[in-house]
Amino acid sequence: MLRSLLKNSRFTFSAVLLLIIVLVGVIGPLIRRANPLFAVGGRYDRPDSKLWLGTDAIGNDVFLQLIHGIGNSLYIGLVAGVIATLIGVIIGLSAGYFGGLLDEVLMGMTNVFITIPTIVILVLLSVTLNSRSTVLLGVIIGVTSWPWTARAVRSQAASLRSREHVDVARLSGISTPRILMGEILPYMASYVVMAFVLQMSSGILNEAGLSLLGLGPDNSISLGKLLQGALQGEALRTGAYWAILPPTLILALISFALLMVQSSLDEYFNPRLRRNT
Amino acid sequence: MSQTLKKNALWLTAGLLATLSVSAQAQNLPRAQTLIVSGWQYDTPTSFNPVSPAQSAWPVGNTNSGTNVYELVYETLMTFNSASGKLEPLLATGYTQKGNVITVKMQPAAKWQDGKTLTAADVVYSFELGKREALSYSNLWDYVSSVKAPDAKTVVITLNPKKLNPGLVVNYLGQIVIVPQHIFAAVEKEKTPLAQFTNLKPVGSGPYKVSTYNAERVVAIRDDNYWGKSVWGLPAPKYILHPIFKGNDSANLALSQGNVDVSQSFIPEIWKLKDKGVGTWLSSEPYYLPGSIPLLVVNTTKKGLDNPLVRRAIAMSINYPLIAKTAMSNYSVPANASLLLPSGNEKTLFSAAEVKKNGWSYNPQGAVDILEKQLKAKKGGDGIYVLPDGTRLGPWKLAAPNGWTDWNQALSVVASSGKAVGIDLRTDFPQQSVWQTNLNTGDFDLALNGSTGVSAAGPWPRFQAAMDSRDTPKIGENAFSNYGRYSNPQVAPLLDKAAAATSAADQKNLYGQLDAIFQKDVPAIPLMYRPYEFYEFNTAHWTGFPTSADPYAAPQNAQAGIKMLYKIKPR
Repeated sequence: MLRSLLKNSRFTFSAVLLLIIVLVGVIGPLIRRANPLFAVGGRYDRPDSKLWLGTDAIGNDVFLQLIHGIGNSLYIGLVAGVIATLIGVIIGLSAGYFGGLLDEVLMGMTNVFITIPTIVILVLLSVTLNSRSTVLLGVIIGVTSWPWTARAVRSQAASLRSREHVDVARLSGISTPRILMGEILPYMASYVVMAFVLQMSSGILNEAGLSLLGLGPDNSISLGKLLQGALQGEALRTGAYWAILPPTLILALISFALLMVQSSLDEYFNPRLRRNT
Repeated sequence: MSQTLKKNALWLTAGLLATLSVSAQAQNLPRAQTLIVSGWQYDTPTSFNPVSPAQSAWPVGNTNSGTNVYELVYETLMTFNSASGKLEPLLATGYTQKGNVITVKMQPAAKWQDGKTLTAADVVYSFELGKREALSYSNLWDYVSSVKAPDAKTVVITLNPKKLNPGLVVNYLGQIVIVPQHIFAAVEKEKTPLAQFTNLKPVGSGPYKVSTYNAERVVAIRDDNYWGKSVWGLPAPKYILHPIFKGNDSANLALSQGNVDVSQSFIPEIWKLKDKGVGTWLSSEPYYLPGSIPLLVVNTTKKGLDNPLVRRAIAMSINYPLIAKTAMSNYSVPANASLLLPSGNEKTLFSAAEVKKNGWSYNPQGAVDILEKQLKAKKGGDGIYVLPDGTRLGPWKLAAPNGWTDWNQALSVVASSGKAVGIDLRTDFPQQSVWQTNLNTGDFDLALNGSTGVSAAGPWPRFQAAMDSRDTPKIGENAFSNYGRYSNPQVAPLLDKAAAATSAADQKNLYGQLDAIFQKDVPAIPLMYRPYEFYEFNTAHWTGFPTSADPYAAPQNAQAGIKMLYKIKPR
């Protein structure tokens, strides 16, 4: 599978790009161990050989903040992605497989969630919390982003439950949890993986949106908080491009890479989309 | 994904529209007759009641709130000039003091915008409102025995001989907004508490009326029948438009583009905007005159923060030079551990030696020593100290209104300074109205708040507001000063003596003693110095703004600064 995926240049390019960003975010802070929230210079000092990306409005090292920010943003995206996918799969699978009243109730609930704009729930939840850690922020984003996954998983599960192999499994007396795990889930694994990639990407962007509104993680750095700091410090007006461009670019690159990974996976799993590679 | 992309595109579009809307707003009004100002109003106006302690929107503002006395719709008897430190005539032609009696002479032509004559009875009524209702200037009546009107144009104020404070009472002549008795007395009769009266159609005595307001802007229109026309003419702008920005950054962008003419926003690196026609009072560093001390008020009722040594450790952890250099864009020197300004009229009272002896400065190791040696605190696994009684040092929120970028950045420095030492401080930037309500009711941990700036009463109001517990209500009730609910019985007698002191030597001695208590108890932490008002202008559409080279008016938008409205000219 990996070998044929690697033949897809789009997948290879985006996966390598993502890997580099992940490595910078994970290994970077281990190499540069200084506290990113500790000032090392003045207001918007220009980049030089020591401070590769200069300083921000309150004298922090932008490069150091960036590598810490990448790690935290990816972490928030990962937590949000796992939670949103998990809730979406559990709700979608139960509704689709069991059908009937349970389906009605669960899908009714999902539809209600879909009609409420996520950002409103996110803002309300974030405002009510006394402190917001990176994990908690990931959880909040995760629990507000599952409905679309649930809807799609439900359709797939509803279609799979009437397949012959599922009937056979049911007649053989295999327990329902084992049928769900062994006979249904593997057939939608490709979709679940792709949904997770998209959820992770949207989680990272949601964090940036919340941080821009001043509702980012406390006492911690993220790409969104870097952007918020740059906006607050009027980096754009005062010409401090080094404070605003790097986080913007990295956010765009992460989203781009995740989207490309998702679309190449989609192409791989769905033969009808496959081009002659 | 497409959902998220759409959402982000919406945000971006909203941002762009906000910037474009300023010029669109101005287009509705003739630009040559419209002065666009910013820096006063950050949310939709909900009240134009100047005597209510709740926030009253521009162009009305609140009585006794210093820089927010705009003098546009309602006026005070005298008006304060922050550059000279003196009061100038407005509704009064002047005042004289003989012994314990202050006599104020009113402008003969003064009248209300509805045509009724403004008399000394209105002045007496406005002053006495503070006696009947809990208003922000109610403490005036601690220092005054009576306010009387012997005739229609004379007001006689008799000081309370048991509690002499002539400086403060004179200062109030420039602080108490005079309201029309014929309107406010009717509201009182309806038994509506005045604090809840929203007064959405204000009738004042000033040169402007409220024209329109919504979530995006407030417009004031000139009253061409203004009584002052015969005394000093009419102001030049027919309209004054205040766009409602969400923060300094968008206001500053508009100022730099000539879409705002006069601003009261913190604008970093102002020297970079010279070629765009942007200027301020001074043409070189420090650009502004220091006029007040933003104080990080500590809620002394919170567990852990009720310990003066913890408060001192927090004070010592803060990197003041960094705040001055970054958050204040070098417009300030590093803050001293003192409630006195080290320059201007208060320079003679300030003692650098005493500050060094009793106060604090940026000293993270000193903070650690206090925590470990004096408080016997132990660092937890998360790097935060815990007191022997189990109290963890935080998380404590550092509150300031969202979008007040200089304050937001200063608090970011405080948060990282605290974390570096082992105190869990976190920034919290709610809407301005939420921050104000929390401040009043004591629902905060540490909050940044402006202290009383330079005033005709010297530093007394600042010391009183920061340290006097006599009128401080309980947590949950509205306080108008001493928001941190600090209390020390030594303070009150010293404040009373300082109020009555007339000789420079006595004043220095008494303020020195008060400052020493402040340094020992740390009820609040001075973070930086800022001008009395941030004052910037752009000459793209209007010219002739006052500067230190042409100081015909004070570097203020409000109070005596309104004199600029009579001299500026459309380009």
